[in-house]
Amino acid sequence: MDNLDDNDIATLLRLKRHEQPPPGYFDSFLHEFHRRQRAELLREPVWRIALQRAQDYMLRLNVPALSSYPVAAAAILVCAAVLSLKVYQSPDAPALAMVAVQQSAAIAVSSPPRAAWSLSSSPISARDIGSMPVRASSDSTKTHRLAAPPRYVLDSTPVSYEPASFRF
Amino acid sequence: MEQPRSDEDQQLVARTQEGDVGAFDQLVVKYTPRLYGLVYNMTSNHEDTNDLLQDVFSKAYKSIRGFRGKSSFYTWIHSIAVNMTLNFLKKRGRRFNLSLDDVDASVHNDKEFLELTQTSSPVREADLSELQVRLNEAMMKLSDEHRAVVTMFHIQGMPHAEISKILRVSEGTVRSRLFYANRQLQNYLDEFRKNPVS
Repeated sequence: MDNLDDNDIATLLRLKRHEQPPPGYFDSFLHEFHRRQRAELLREPVWRIALQRAQDYMLRLNVPALSSYPVAAAAILVCAAVLSLKVYQSPDAPALAMVAVQQSAAIAVSSPPRAAWSLSSSPISARDIGSMPVRASSDSTKTHRLAAPPRYVLDSTPVSYEPASFRF
Repeated sequence: MEQPRSDEDQQLVARTQEGDVGAFDQLVVKYTPRLYGLVYNMTSNHEDTNDLLQDVFSKAYKSIRGFRGKSSFYTWIHSIAVNMTLNFLKKRGRRFNLSLDDVDASVHNDKEFLELTQTSSPVREADLSELQVRLNEAMMKLSDEHRAVVTMFHIQGMPHAEISKILRVSEGTVRSRLFYANRQLQNYLDEFRKNPVS
């Protein structure tokens, strides 16, 4: 009994080309592909679809360089760097703005209208009084809260949890 | 097996990149039978082949904007198919069921089939259909990488150079894998012919 040689093996393997899927398989393959594509699209998150559309838009504008990942990533990094520089260079800016708003509100509440100042007989300028820093009520409450715990908290437990122990 | 014309593919790829979905459909129709043969002979399972093939085309569609034409579309899509199938086989491990397709009736008109069955040869001594079953089993005993090379060279009829591009290995590696795989297949099949019951 002779052994199989390379040609026999090659011939046998070539016959495997005749192993074919069920009839009509290749005809229905494209329909199945479309169905799966639609199903996949429904599962995709909205941001990815939006990103994809943005890329398509860039391609249609014939700016392919901008739609490439390295350039897009670089652009995002530059934007992030600029934003973070602006934020970290003036860290107290938002807090100062808040204080200024609070102070102006307090002045508006506590000081009389400018028309009344001119009626004053005092030589002291009402304008000076008006421009003196006035503490807003919220400032003092904040200070108290920082110094001591609020009175209505007993042993760190809200009063409402122990109605029997609450005394006026 | 003849390679499709690459200029025709290039046009279809360019149209797909411009957003013409129909052009990609033409590529799918064109390459499905060829890629089916590749994936099927690597997995020996029809259902797995179907799922893998759908994933291959889905991935190709998503990545086609990044295709710059450095290689032909033929090489590119085959690379995707081979890599995805090898990854799948690694995950599947040794747990698999053969789900073989029927041999098409056209085999009886095949010149090589007629030669095998009409002339005296070692193959003729064994039952041919049984030998085919054994051949599939022997194929599954090869490593995934060796099976990929055997499938592309012997079954798909690709040249060594094309296989080396698809697998991104040297031609020498392709030839060495083929040599080793042929030896293994011969051993399995000779063993069967000497001990048909085993």
